[in-house]
Amino acid sequence: MIDGTRVIDFHGHVGRWEQYGMNDDPARMLHAMDAVGIDVSCLFHIFHPDGTTSNDLTAKFIARHPDRFVGFAYVSPTMPERMLPELERAIDKLRFPAIKLYPPYTPWPFNQAPWHPIYEFANKRGLTIIFHTDHLENNRPRYFEDLAPMYPNVNFVAGHSGNSPEARAEAIAAVQKYPNVFLETCSTFRTPGVIEQLVEEGGADRVLFGSDVPLMDPRPQIGKIITARISDEAKRLVLGGNAERLLGI
Amino acid sequence: MPSLSFSPRVPVIDANVCVGNHHTEPSPCQSQVQLLDEMDHHSINRAVIYHAQTEEISPTDGNRLLESWLDEGERLMPQWSVTPTADALAQIQALHREGRVQSVRLHNTQSAGLPFRAWGYDTLLSWLSEVGLPLWIPLMDVEPHDLITTLQAYPDLKTVLLGAHYTHTLVVRPMLDTLPNAWLELSRYEPIGEVESLKRQYGADRLIYGSWYPRYAMGPILYYLHHTDLNDDELQMVCAGNVEKLLGI
Repeated sequence: MIDGTRVIDFHGHVGRWEQYGMNDDPARMLHAMDAVGIDVSCLFHIFHPDGTTSNDLTAKFIARHPDRFVGFAYVSPTMPERMLPELERAIDKLRFPAIKLYPPYTPWPFNQAPWHPIYEFANKRGLTIIFHTDHLENNRPRYFEDLAPMYPNVNFVAGHSGNSPEARAEAIAAVQKYPNVFLETCSTFRTPGVIEQLVEEGGADRVLFGSDVPLMDPRPQIGKIITARISDEAKRLVLGGNAERLLGI
Repeated sequence: MPSLSFSPRVPVIDANVCVGNHHTEPSPCQSQVQLLDEMDHHSINRAVIYHAQTEEISPTDGNRLLESWLDEGERLMPQWSVTPTADALAQIQALHREGRVQSVRLHNTQSAGLPFRAWGYDTLLSWLSEVGLPLWIPLMDVEPHDLITTLQAYPDLKTVLLGAHYTHTLVVRPMLDTLPNAWLELSRYEPIGEVESLKRQYGADRLIYGSWYPRYAMGPILYYLHHTDLNDDELQMVCAGNVEKLLGI
């Protein structure tokens, strides 16, 4: 909690990736979260294309601290026969409120046909999907301009807000055109003025704080929001207000 | 207690600030006035500055351009860049005779096509050791094996290792273990819990705050350092004291 605002980190991981120092030790994660007032972190596991293995690991992890962690479902179109049954299980039985998709681990840009069964599922249920986005062909935020009008009940979240300046411009353009597209802030690119740009051009009600915990420590990532030249009202929306609205938590 | 606003509680020197335009990318900061305004926004007292042109084009020309950024109030402290050519070394040695050199920055060894090995850098490294000047080294520009094996031959030379990223996680500890006269600058180092972990293992006197502005915003890492287990004495060392000792100020 920061000055009465419940803080929700919209982008985090379960799993270890030692070469990059990623360590999902819950004590280490909670220590960092507590130091800066992060109440809840949304987590997903993206290393198993069957989905089931990933989602079970996420469920096991969040069960240790259900008041501090929320799980998102993960599936991959590289195993198409598993996608919909696993989504149903993750949403209905594991009670995950949203979906994470990771196009870099597939051969397809995320506007292509293999992904659409996921969007149809999410559209029927009014779910939120967060994507990895960047400047590479599979991950371009401009694809939201194809998807957002086609699936109006889905909230599409551009993870990393595209990362690079050119992809960030695509993400902002999609947000300006469609009410169901959102921007998420985590990135090792901590360019001066980037948070100000997202808020001014996308709107404070369309930006979500994320950190990439535990690949990255959430403290410098939330520091981007706190030290940005934006209003306190905008900070409150970015840090938690918008995430509460999207997730219904 | 986390708050929507932040200002540091100790004096701060930013040990890594770039001024001027890169040949491929104009800087968001076009003047000394703008730079000082940005420092004021984050309550940063002083900064070690080098010129962008020294990174990939010309250390000697870039050093000349740096002169116009220096302020009479001495909040901006020059860092002169060097590559081991006779002209570049003569320029630094002349500045040193004038009493104007507190630190030196290594030109990109990879773009220069000169690996960081004693057969290419002995004259420079021997002179720096002899006169007691510290050398700032961007890690992305030097092979770790070259860095460790070369610097081990100059045990009196003090170095500041810049811009460690999460992709450097596995080499950070070997570098600090094998190079007792090396300090780690933290502008890009975000693996979870690593500031506290490195402090416990090596001491706060081996860590240095830098932002690498304008590649990165000045505030996030400073905010991070203020929300760790560092006590106020340790925080003072990381934010200013360690670099003050290295610069002899």
